Amino acid sequence: MAKLWKSMIACMLVFSIVLAGCSGQDKATTADGKRILKIWGMGGEGGSLPDMVAAFEKANPDIDVQVQQIPWGSAHDKLLTAVASKSGPDVIQMGMTWIPEFANAGALMDLTPYVEQYPNLKPENFFEGARETMKFNDQMISVPWYMETRVLYYRTDLLKEVGYNEPPKTWAELKDAATKLAARGNGNYGILLDNQDAAFTLPFAWENGSEVISNNQAQFNQPPYIEAVKYLTSFYKEGLAPTQSDMQLLPAFGQGMVPMFFSGPWSINQIHETAPQIDGKWSTALIPAKEEGGKSASVLGGSNWSVFSSAVNKDDAVKFISFMSDPANQVKYYELSKDLPSTLKAWEDKAFSSNEQIKTFREQMETSRTSPFVKSWEAIGSLIKDSLQQINIGGADVQKQMEELTTQANELLKD
Amino acid sequence: MQKAWQSLAKHRYPYLFIAPTLIILFIFSFIPILVAVFISFTNMDLAGLANWSNIKFNGTDNFVQLFGDAVFRKSMFNTLIYVVVGVPLVVLLSMAIAILINQGTSWLFKTFRVIYYMPSITNIVAVAVIWGYLYNSQYGLINQMLGFFGFDPVRWLQGPTIAKFSLIIMAVWKAIGLNMIIFLAALQGIPRTYYEAAQIDGASRWQQLTKITVPLLGFATFFVSITTLIGWIQFFEEPLVMTKGDPLNGTTSMALFIYNTGFQRSDFGYAAAGSIVLFAIIIVVTIIQFKVRKKDSDVEY
Repeated sequence: MAKLWKSMIACMLVFSIVLAGCSGQDKATTADGKRILKIWGMGGEGGSLPDMVAAFEKANPDIDVQVQQIPWGSAHDKLLTAVASKSGPDVIQMGMTWIPEFANAGALMDLTPYVEQYPNLKPENFFEGARETMKFNDQMISVPWYMETRVLYYRTDLLKEVGYNEPPKTWAELKDAATKLAARGNGNYGILLDNQDAAFTLPFAWENGSEVISNNQAQFNQPPYIEAVKYLTSFYKEGLAPTQSDMQLLPAFGQGMVPMFFSGPWSINQIHETAPQIDGKWSTALIPAKEEGGKSASVLGGSNWSVFSSAVNKDDAVKFISFMSDPANQVKYYELSKDLPSTLKAWEDKAFSSNEQIKTFREQMETSRTSPFVKSWEAIGSLIKDSLQQINIGGADVQKQMEELTTQANELLKD
Repeated sequence: MQKAWQSLAKHRYPYLFIAPTLIILFIFSFIPILVAVFISFTNMDLAGLANWSNIKFNGTDNFVQLFGDAVFRKSMFNTLIYVVVGVPLVVLLSMAIAILINQGTSWLFKTFRVIYYMPSITNIVAVAVIWGYLYNSQYGLINQMLGFFGFDPVRWLQGPTIAKFSLIIMAVWKAIGLNMIIFLAALQGIPRTYYEAAQIDGASRWQQLTKITVPLLGFATFFVSITTLIGWIQFFEEPLVMTKGDPLNGTTSMALFIYNTGFQRSDFGYAAAGSIVLFAIIIVVTIIQFKVRKKDSDVEY
């Protein structure tokens, strides 16, 4: 009997030691007394961070920065786990559309008390469109880091062949150019419209004077929004844009199969790398406005910095964010990664004024807006994608489908 | 009570040996299942995860909503198709291949054993990426070959029905290897004397196959069908990596639906309710299989 108990207890002990070894307490300092600052960076951006971190560590020798790189695909899952276990990093890179969801959960620290000490964090330093992403329920919960916006990429040579020496500037011109380009036949299309992207209809709806969400009510069933969707889906219906989702965009752009598409700044380098044979034969332009003289619109995206509310080292976390928001450092980061800076001051650097393609982005950013800043945007976005699929592939009626989308979205906005 | 202790003390070594497994099973399977049952009756989302005081009980709301949800019903239908088409294919093909490979022992047969087993040890993500290229409607190898023979290209992953079958083809190809090994082991356990006796009695090869081999594979077949069935009801990685449930939710399986609502939309209560339904389905199906199995007892000669 006693023997049984002894062996049982021995087993339990071994087991609990194993478990304890797994968890371990978060340490605040390294062995040589430096304060540890943990940072999570996402995707390719996380990859170009170490150079910036080295500069930060040089300026602050008493801080040891540990960067963890997380692929975008698994970042959302990882953030959920960090919130649940309250053992996240100190500083975290947040995709703009995720901020409301995590801010609503109270996972992001209020930075307002630090603004006086770190003037780099003042909202007026940043692009107007990006300022919206800093506030949630009267708290300052994040600071814009880099931005991106969508513009029109087009093949200058192929558009010239169909009589367009200038890029299309209105909806009618875009449609006309796409029709003429698709008329080349032989499996060629006029344009590629990425209906996998939840934000893809937004610029056109905005240009048409529609809102996406207004007074916490979805506007998808309003006439201007419907008109924008009808305009966009007509490209698929008339065979001007491919409906299949497995089109390899860059090779197709290189071959001229897809002579126009909408995308962000990352495509510049990708085209140079994948299709160097068309260097000089393509350019970027603003997203066409609805009518002559109308205002072009686009979607503003990018990443912000936030401090986790369970952070161990909050003061150094804010210091790091301030460092990354410094205009000179933002220019340095642009040179490393080609991600566009979020502060107005950084854009005054000559690195930006000399580059034609970057200029388009600068101009487009003036009229870009972020996706609606509500916590259920991720869920609504996937509903929009589903609805567009229903219309384009399933052949659903636009009006009916958009009514249904509105009901579902309002349901999500309610709670 | 005293008696129970005495028997526990007497058999302490077996209990000690299974203790680690039991403890791990308890911590990592049993408790999470109970927690999931609990969550399925709440409105837990990200805010609830961060601060438990935000969690509210909403009774059976999640389940009521679930059965009214068109996407969930579609995912149940898709899963049914995956199981009804995929499971028999896996069992039949792996048995057939095992029997064929068991015919000889030369290097050729050994090589093919490796070839058929290879997909099972390859990472599913790598497999899905490669098959994604094969299925590509424009540049894909399969369409190139079809074009060579003068057929029109097929959009393998672009239609809700054809995409389901494209995924099934890939998953069957991947599942055959492991089950083939199980059948091979069972085949090698059948004594040669049965075949010799049958040959003396003048049985044809087909009779030997249907009267000796297949019946004696009964237990292996049972094992393979149960594990395959459970696996296919939880069909997940293939649609996640290859189609994300597109087009028109035509490839969304129940497991993928649960993942999407839980980890993409952070609606944990709703996702937990979905997983409880999936859990119940698996339990019921497995019980039915065991009941059916009991009726015809093992074949012995």
